[in-house]
Amino acid sequence: MAKNKFFSALKPNQGSLITLAVFILLPFVVGLFNGASPAQVWTNGSGQSKFIQGLAIEIFILALYALSYDLIFGFTGLLSFGHSMFFAVGAYLTGILLKNFGFSLGATFGMIFLAGILQALLFGMVLPRVKGITFALVTLGMASVFHVLVISSELGPYTGSDVGLQGVVAPEFISPASQRLRLYFVTLAILIAVFMLYKRFVNSPTGRVCTAIRENEGRALMLGYNTFYFKLAALALSSLTAALAGMLHTIYQPIVSPNVAGLGYTVTALLIILIGGVGTLNGALVGAVVFRLLDYGLRRYIGESASFINGAVYVAIVLFLPFGIVGTWRLKSAQIRQGWERLAKLWLIGNRRD
Amino acid sequence: MDPEIIFETVNLRKEFGALVAVDDVSLKVHKNSLHAIIGPNGAGKTTFFNLLSGNLEPTAGQVIYKGRDITHQPVHRTIHFGVGRSFQITNIFPNLTVFENVRLACQALGADNFKFWQAASAFKKYEQRTWEVLERVGLKERAFDFARTLPHGDQRKLELGMILAPDPEVLLLDEPTAGMAAEQVPELIALIQEIQRAGDKTVMLVEHNMNVVMSVSDRITVMHQGAVLAEGAPAEIAANKEVQVAYLGGLYELNV
Repeated sequence: MAKNKFFSALKPNQGSLITLAVFILLPFVVGLFNGASPAQVWTNGSGQSKFIQGLAIEIFILALYALSYDLIFGFTGLLSFGHSMFFAVGAYLTGILLKNFGFSLGATFGMIFLAGILQALLFGMVLPRVKGITFALVTLGMASVFHVLVISSELGPYTGSDVGLQGVVAPEFISPASQRLRLYFVTLAILIAVFMLYKRFVNSPTGRVCTAIRENEGRALMLGYNTFYFKLAALALSSLTAALAGMLHTIYQPIVSPNVAGLGYTVTALLIILIGGVGTLNGALVGAVVFRLLDYGLRRYIGESASFINGAVYVAIVLFLPFGIVGTWRLKSAQIRQGWERLAKLWLIGNRRD
Repeated sequence: MDPEIIFETVNLRKEFGALVAVDDVSLKVHKNSLHAIIGPNGAGKTTFFNLLSGNLEPTAGQVIYKGRDITHQPVHRTIHFGVGRSFQITNIFPNLTVFENVRLACQALGADNFKFWQAASAFKKYEQRTWEVLERVGLKERAFDFARTLPHGDQRKLELGMILAPDPEVLLLDEPTAGMAAEQVPELIALIQEIQRAGDKTVMLVEHNMNVVMSVSDRITVMHQGAVLAEGAPAEIAANKEVQVAYLGGLYELNV
């Protein structure tokens, strides 16, 4: 009986478990294809596997970042154009604390946590006053101020001005150079933990109210919810996640470009969840994979003109999959299933005629 | 303070620029009564309701609920005092299920709103209450349909369910039958009456259907151009010449 219960719990999570298995096995499978034994991969001896791990780490970080945007935009309905600041603060703070102040990784994480809360409070200050597009513009303004600060020459010794933050040395035990497999699994574990937390959050009493706010804030107020606190909760969780993604970004990349503080990087998050499906969570993961692989593939095989084709593909996705990959899939899966059933029927009838 | 008076306004006034939408309205609502507010279009009935429920801030005057001044309380506090409000234009969560619409209304007054580490479905008391309410308004069969897919009449019932869910003492119903098919109206009115009588509730009702108003109300206030034109029992209002001229154009014979 216990076994049955175990398997029936597995069933609805089949997809997630298979995906998880794929990502756990990925570095080793890539190694095998390249003639490296799992033992070699384990000791970071396979170059090809290391490269794929690096690409996957980038995807995990993008997925974390996109998840955090989906929470405030897709679930709570807050359109923020300053989201890149959440990420950039995490990225820069990590770099500066590790490099200039010699903080340990744990202490850095503590500061990131604090910074994440403070950022949410900063955005929270304007929450009750501005709504909709005005909120988008105010947050854009705040993020722009941060961007200007980051590229200012006065802060150059810390931020590296417009060149970017360079020469950050990640702690040895998760160094992207010598311990990449470990970093790969750490990033994957963080992504899974955050994803599960988000799944729970959006289905919790708090998250349900966030969805209600997206649907009809006036009504949520009349039901007796002080919507400000719910929006603030979503912002805080989102800000923490994005800052954590920024921290991982700095650990993986030796260079923090000021681009991550710009509007373009907010658009990246928006683009990823538009590709994957707004308000689906899974969409952020799928979108990050598509976004990064498309970018990588086109750049590698086409070169400079890649961004043109990239753009065309995004336009096509928005035109043909208006609810994103996951969103459209959820809508259409029932119809697709019916389609297969019809096809099976046709096949049977066809056979009978023969 | 008269304990029989549950809701009271004192010289309540709302101006939109030069327009006086609500003009020094002083009104007393008796506990457990059904108090209707009637008046021609633009008389300020809905604005008056918005002032009572806190959706709008009055220019002057007071709103007193059970002896307590609630004039400047934020709108999300209203239901916490025990005042529920429905809207003339259907105001629901269109992309959530009927069940979730009502469940959210049940959850609002509990102390579990920030338990983000637990699934909403773990709080059985809200789900149980939701089923009770859905049973009451007759939407049990459609619980898991999206609210936007309901026909208009059912959406009105859903809206009623959403304000019944937290079991408020006072119901402010802004044209609950607006846009409903004529044959559905008596059913909804009967439901409202039943709720008011069985639950010892006070109902304030804005309604245009004269036959309904005259038959169910304990007391009627007639508004005209923002001000109170007359107030009294249905029979008095029907006999009032001023009301007949202002509201009914003197053409309509009330058959009470």
